[in-house]
This record gives sequence, C-alpha cells and structure tokens, in this order.
Amino acid sequence: MIQVMNWLSMAIGLIPLNRQQAQSNFVLDYGMMVIVPCLYLSSYLGINLMKSFGLPFLDACNSVCRLSNNLFMHLGAFLYVTITLLSLYRRKQFFVDFETRLAEIDVVIQKCRRVAELDKGRAQAVKHSVAYHFTWLFVFSVFIFALYYDSKELYATFGEYAIIPFMVSSFPYLAGSIIQGEFIYHVSVISNRFEQINKLFEKINQEARHRHAPLTVFDIESEGKKQERKPTPAEKAAATKAIYSTDPKLADELKAQKALPTNQQNELNTSDEEDEDIFDYNEGMMEENTGTTSEANLPDLFKLHDKILALSVMTNGEFGPQCVPYMAACFVVSIFGIFLETKVNFIVSGKSRLLDYVTYLYVIWSFTTMVVAYIVLRLCCNANNHSKQSAMIVHEIMQKKPAFMLSNDLFYNKMKSFTLQFLHWEGYFQFNGIGLFALDYTFIFSTVSAATSYLIVLLQFDMTAILRNEGLMT
Amino acid sequence: MSQPTPIVQPLLLQFQQLFFLSKLVGVLPQDLTKFRFKNVLEKSRNGMIYMLGMLMLYIVLYNLLIYSFGEEDRSLKATQSTLTFVIGLFLTYIGLIMMVTDQVTALFNQGRLGDLYERIRVVDERLYREQCLVDNSTIAKRIRIMLLMTFVFELFILLSTYVKLVDYTQWLSILWIVSAIPTFINTLDKIWFAVSLYALKERFEAINATLEDLVTEHEKFLTWLNGDDRNNSIEEHAAVESVSQPPQYDTNLEYLYKELGGIDVGSLRGSGSKGKNKVAPIAHSLNSFGESIQSPRKLQQSNATPMINMAHESELSNATKVEEKLNNLCQVHDEICEIGKAMNGLWSYPILSLMAYGFLIFTAQLYFLYCATRAQSIPSLFRSAKSPFITVVVLIYTSGKCIYLIYLSWKTSLASKRTGISLHKCGVVADDNLLYEIVNHLSLKLLNHSVDFSACGFFTLDMETLYGVSGGITSYLIILIQFNLAAQQAKDAINSFNSFNDTAGLVGAATEFGNESSSLFDLVTTTMMTPLN
Repeated sequence: MIQVMNWLSMAIGLIPLNRQQAQSNFVLDYGMMVIVPCLYLSSYLGINLMKSFGLPFLDACNSVCRLSNNLFMHLGAFLYVTITLLSLYRRKQFFVDFETRLAEIDVVIQKCRRVAELDKGRAQAVKHSVAYHFTWLFVFSVFIFALYYDSKELYATFGEYAIIPFMVSSFPYLAGSIIQGEFIYHVSVISNRFEQINKLFEKINQEARHRHAPLTVFDIESEGKKQERKPTPAEKAAATKAIYSTDPKLADELKAQKALPTNQQNELNTSDEEDEDIFDYNEGMMEENTGTTSEANLPDLFKLHDKILALSVMTNGEFGPQCVPYMAACFVVSIFGIFLETKVNFIVSGKSRLLDYVTYLYVIWSFTTMVVAYIVLRLCCNANNHSKQSAMIVHEIMQKKPAFMLSNDLFYNKMKSFTLQFLHWEGYFQFNGIGLFALDYTFIFSTVSAATSYLIVLLQFDMTAILRNEGLMT
Repeated sequence: MSQPTPIVQPLLLQFQQLFFLSKLVGVLPQDLTKFRFKNVLEKSRNGMIYMLGMLMLYIVLYNLLIYSFGEEDRSLKATQSTLTFVIGLFLTYIGLIMMVTDQVTALFNQGRLGDLYERIRVVDERLYREQCLVDNSTIAKRIRIMLLMTFVFELFILLSTYVKLVDYTQWLSILWIVSAIPTFINTLDKIWFAVSLYALKERFEAINATLEDLVTEHEKFLTWLNGDDRNNSIEEHAAVESVSQPPQYDTNLEYLYKELGGIDVGSLRGSGSKGKNKVAPIAHSLNSFGESIQSPRKLQQSNATPMINMAHESELSNATKVEEKLNNLCQVHDEICEIGKAMNGLWSYPILSLMAYGFLIFTAQLYFLYCATRAQSIPSLFRSAKSPFITVVVLIYTSGKCIYLIYLSWKTSLASKRTGISLHKCGVVADDNLLYEIVNHLSLKLLNHSVDFSACGFFTLDMETLYGVSGGITSYLIILIQFNLAAQQAKDAINSFNSFNDTAGLVGAATEFGNESSSLFDLVTTTMMTPLN
C-alpha cells in the first residue's frame, strides 16, 4: 500500500525519484518535480489569464458557482504552490538521512531483541491488523471516488480538454493529501519503533516483577525490627543474612559490583564463582536466567529513545510546515462545503448542473481532506503517546526496585536520567505545524469550535436574494 | 595580562550604526560619546532632554497631521457609515500611543539597558572560558539587513501613498511624512529587542553545540577505544581522524596547566592566544574580521602543534573534570535565562503595545480595504487601504514585525529547552555513575530555569498565540464585514425610503388635498417596503 502511494507521489512529482540513493542522476530525480508544477502553473495561469477552459467562464455558471469555483481554485493554488516549494526545498537529503538513521535504529533494536529474546514476536509485528488494511482501502476508495467524480463531470463539460480544468480543481488537493500521506508513513514508522522499544521496556518490567519477591530483603533492612517480629520464609533468609553481615548495605554494594559485569556479559560467561555467595537469596533469579539479560538493554534503549525522538524532530521539521497550508485548506473547504450544501444545494439542487457539481466537489474534498487530516492527527498523537509510555514504563520499573537497580546506583541514576530527559523532551518537542498548533486531538477541538463560530456567522448570510437573482428560485 | 583588556568583544560593538540612528531620531537617550569610545550605554541628561524634545515635537506634528487631514473626514462624516467612522476615530491615536510607549519606556530604562549588555558581556567571557565561542559578526549583518528592510518598507509605503493617494498640490500635504514617524521609531526600538533576543538565542545554541561536541567527541573516543581493542586498522583510522577531526589538545593542556600551578586557566588561555595572534588578541575580533574560525579548538590546535600527539581524549571520560565544566555551563544557562527575563521585562510594555497595534491595524486595514473596494469612504489616515498593493505591503510590514518577534521568542525558548536534552546526551554517552548524578542534578535545575517570553504576562510570545490571533483577526473581520453589509443595506433602505418620500410628497403635492393622500401614502409605503424588508 505504501509502495503504491510512493509511486504515485513520485509520478506526480512530489518526492524525488531515487530518493533512497545518495548518488544518482540529478536531472532524472528532480525532473518530475519540476515538470508537474510547471504543468500546473501553466494551466492555472492559462485559465486565469486567457479566461478559457475554466468553469467560471462558462455561460451556464452563475454567480454563486463562479464565486465558489474561484475560491476552490485559488485555495488549491495556494496549497499546491506552498507544498511544492517546500517539497523542492526538502530535496532528497531528508529521505536518505531518514533511512540511514532508521537503519541504525533498527540494527540496535534487533540487537536488543536478540538480547531480550523477543524474536519470536517478530512475525506479529510484520503482519498488519485488519484495521490497517481497512483504513488504507477506505482512503483509497475515497480518493478514487473523488477523482472519478471530478474527472467525469469535467469530461462531460469540456470533452478532451478536461485535463486542464482538472489540474486546477482536484489536483492540488490530491497532491496535498499525498504529501500528508508521506508524513503519515514517516510518523507511522516512528510510532512503530516506539512501540517496539516499549515492548522491550515492558519485557524488562515483567522480569522485574518476577524478581520482585526475593529481593524485598534489601528494603527491609532499614526496618529490621518489624521484620524480626514476623519472619516469613522468604524474609528469614534475609534476616539471617542481615545478621551475618555487620554492614549489609556495603556487602550488597560489593556483590553488585561483582555481579554487574557478569550480568552485562552473561552470554560469554555464566557466573559460577560467586554463586555460593549469593545463592541464598538468589534462587528466584537462577530459575529465569534468561531474564537477567534484558536489563542490559537499558542503556541502548535509552539511546534509542533519544534517537527516535531526534528522528521525529527531523521529520516534523520537514513535514510540519506542509501541514499548515493543508490544514488551512481543509478548514476552509469544509466550512464552505457545509455552507454551500445547506444554503444552496439544499434549496436549489438539480436546477443547475454546474452549481451542483461545484457544491458536491466541495463536499467530497472536504470529506477526503478531513479523513487524511484525521489520520495525521491520530498517528501523531499515537507516536506521542508511545513515547510517553516508555517513560511511564521506566518509572514502573523504578518503583518495583528490581535487583539490578537496587544493587547498583548506576542503573537507578540511568533511569532517573532518562525520565528527566524525557521531561525535557516533552517541553521541547511535540508534533506541530511550525509551532502554530500541536498535531493532536486538541487541534480537532480547536478547529471544530472555530468552525462552529464561523458557521454561525456564515449561515446568517442571506442567500435567497442572490439565488432569486440568478433565477434559481422563484 | 597587566592591563584589563577584555577577553571578548562586547556585543554592543555590533550595534554602532543602530545606536547612532536611534540616538538621532530619539529612540534612546544614552550618552553618545561614551558609547563611541567605551561601547557602553550610560545615562545621560542631555540625551534625555533631547529625546523629550523629540517626543514633544513628534506629538505636536502628529496632532497637526491629524488636524489637517481631519478636515476631509469631517466633510465625509455624513456620508460614511458610523462603523467605519468609529473605527477610524478609535485607531487614530494608536500609532502615537505605541511610539510614546516605546520612548517613555526607553527613558525609564536608560540605566538598566546598559547593565543588560554588561551582563551579556560577562556571559560571553564565561562562555569563552568554557571554550564556547559565540560569533557576533552575524549580528551586525542582521542589523544592517533589518535597517535596510525598514527603510525600504517605510519609504515605499510613504512615497507610494503620497504620490498616489495624497493631494500633493497643497503644501500641508508635506505633513503626510509625519505619518511614517511612529512606525519607524517603533521599528527601530524593536530592532534592538530582536537583535538582543537573537544574541541570547545564539548563546543558548552555543551552549548546546558545546554539549553536543562533547558527545560526538566522546563517541569518537569510544570508537577509537574499540578499534584499539580489536586492533584492526588503527593507522588507517588515525589517518582518517587526523584529516577529518583534529585531535583536541587544548583540554589536556588546560588541565596540565591546572595541575601545574592552579593558575587561572582562562587568563592563561587568553595570553596564549594573544601570543599567537598579536594583532587581534580577541577571538571574537578574529571572527568579525572575516577569518573563518569554526571553533576555538582549532585556534588552540594551531598553537599546540609542536606538542606531543595524544590522539584521542574525551573530557567526558573523566567525571570530575567535566563536572566543573557542566556546572559552569548550567550556571551560564541560568544567567542567560535571567537576562532573557530581564530583557523581556524591559520591553514588556512596548511589546504589548506593538502586539495590540499589529492586531488592530491588521484588522482595520483589511476592513478598510473591503470598504474601499465597495467604494465607501474611509478615514483619511488609512488612505493606504485604497490601493490593494500598498495594503499588502503595509500588512507584510506590520505583521512581519510582530511575527518575527514572536518567532524569535519561540525559537529562543526552544533553544533554552534544548539544553537539557543535550546535557542528558552527555550523561548517556559517558554512561558513568558520577556523571549521571551530576547530570540529573543539573537537569532538574534546568527544568526550573526555562525562559518564556510574554507581553506583560498577558500572553506568551509563541507561535500558538499567533495561531489564536490569526483566528481572532479572521472572525472579527467576518463580523465587521457582516455589520458593514447590514449597515449598507439599512442605508440603502433609508435612501430609497427618502427618495420614495420625496416622490410621495410630490404625489401628495400633485393630488394636493386632504385625507385620501395620506391613506394613499400609507398604502404605497407598505407595498414598497415589504420586499425591501
């Protein structure tokens, strides 16, 4: 599905042709990106300067039709020109960078998975859910319907020259949506990586839960009296241990110092020599020896999280500015779509074919752009939530006080550092359109409330006089 | 280091042209000669009197302008709609208010402004000691570009309006030039703020870059260590390294010096570079003279080439060493944040008035443009709205001023937040317990020390405000246009009613007599008015 979208966006010149390869023919890469905008501009200027092949210049087009068509055309021009300029500005470097960084991240993730023995879950990750396919199918069918409707109507009006008005009516919105599709793809990739990291964190978390019981001993030392009053079997060992060593904390530290290197290189050598020493409280740990490995991932995971966030900053920097005109166009088209539908089409549908066509065009494209915008917002929100989730899981791990953390300050500090860093990240970055608005569900709320107030003002506009003038109403 | 020569160039050196200009038109009251010779802003009584005089002059001239051009308005008052008239009346003095706010604030702050730049200079010195170089040369360039753009915009708006829309046969029309004074003075004042803000942003970015440098350096160090372990192709690696990245000696040198005698490292380093570059003892001046120096390390490296080659050494591998550096950087970060807050405080009222001005003028200009396209008369002070092209230029100029300030504040705020992330990267890459503790401690400190710019605390200066404001402008515009339409319709109705009244009167006069004429009048009125309503 994504391949189809990529081919399409290459075909209409929105992304460079060989975007993954650093060295390739410059002309070949950017040829399409120059030809298509030129084609668009020539048809746009041609329509506006020569006053032919445009819907507003037909006799059958009345004033309402002309106004709405002009608005649609100029809005599309604004959208397409800004988006194309930003796409040209982006160049290929971004895609190459993105892929290399992603490859680096993937390598580390694979390594971590191997360490954490999560490979068996890989089959699941590749297979997409039904919802995924359904969404893609839905989006494609919506687009195909929109394009089909527009081209059919235009063909009926203009015959074989229909491509010229088509370039200025539907094409800009299609191009904008496809760029948003690229954004969606990149964000979904990022979101996916966050999910994988979260799985790895979760694995550590689960292991920490298993190992929780035998290791409560360390907490109890501070409140030794309570412990001696009510010794449970697990605590008894600890109590005896506490009696044996005069300074248990120091002893633990020492042990941890010894145990830590073995934990980290445990594939190479299994720790035998210290077993007598730690055997009495380490029974639980011995049983799930595989589990001890996964916390070795922690530093890597922290670095990964950082890297993925840096990647999202880069992606947002590239695609965020393109979001702004798209969202604006979506907003305007939706408002005018509702306005035209309720004030014009509802009253005088069927009287004029062109007027019907224009109002339906508004409705169709408002729906299509809204779907795309919703998916963008949803995915950005998801990615944000996934990244937040990691910090939550790390906090959970910290609360459980697993062995590797208690035994060593390093891990504790590391996790604390990670969560603090995430706090900084949270203040620094969120998916946004050049800072104007955050790309999450709050944006939907703000736009809906704004749209409502505009609609209230717009719906008071009295159209009956105009419609009567045009002879559409008696 | 016998005489106290400054280690770094003061930031104000870059402000010379701007200062002379603002002194001339009366934006700043500070002493001219002291600035010329010592690059400091100091209080000056004469400057204050001069500035007050200018302020009075401007106010008188502006009122004269309003009075002389108000004649047209009075004659037009009857014909234009009350809404337009009221808006025009309301916005007549907003430019003047903005200008007076700027100048009065500058008068009150004349002592504190100098302190601010002094603090920035101290920060620069501290940054320089941490080998974190800030390039001031771009600031002078920026100031020049901004001044140029201001002149271009102001002159274009003034001249095109004067030529196209003002009746220049009368000698009083010369007064139209005064209409450009408030915006010009405001822009000059805002250039001071914008450039200082940009300087702060550069300092934040320099701190971030230093921290990131530490990280990359350490990563290289780690790969080098690994390469050493594996014993494969060290020579090749080293060769590549020596080409791509010159090894860092300065730190070793610095600590060596420290070990030897506890001498002040900063002064030593300063003298070291002085010995090398006799002509230009200051690193900053080197930059401003156009020699491309990317980092102070390279400068140091050229000094130290005869020293032994110590290959790779990362500061991050030694926690105690790096602790001091990180601590200092954080303190400098705090200080910059404080400076930012102080600066925001100094300019809070001017910025508030600018934002109010921008919002109102933007809305009003668009509304008057609409009125002008409908062939309605508009207030004479806003005659630039009669031409769409001039309107576009005016809008770009006004909104450009506001948006640039907002954008810059947002970016500065982001750059200050970025420091925490970079700091943590240092911790993660070194993976050392002690360093983690330091980093965590400092990070908490940084979390509490973020700088957010606001206009008097009414709203923060970031892009979300811009989004809200643009939404506000649109909705107000729609409402204004709706009211205008309604008023226009009402006026048409009244006009037609009046004309009908006349005809009815005529009819009444023609039929002349008695009771049936009034009944006829009523009948005709009702039949004629129904479709209109």
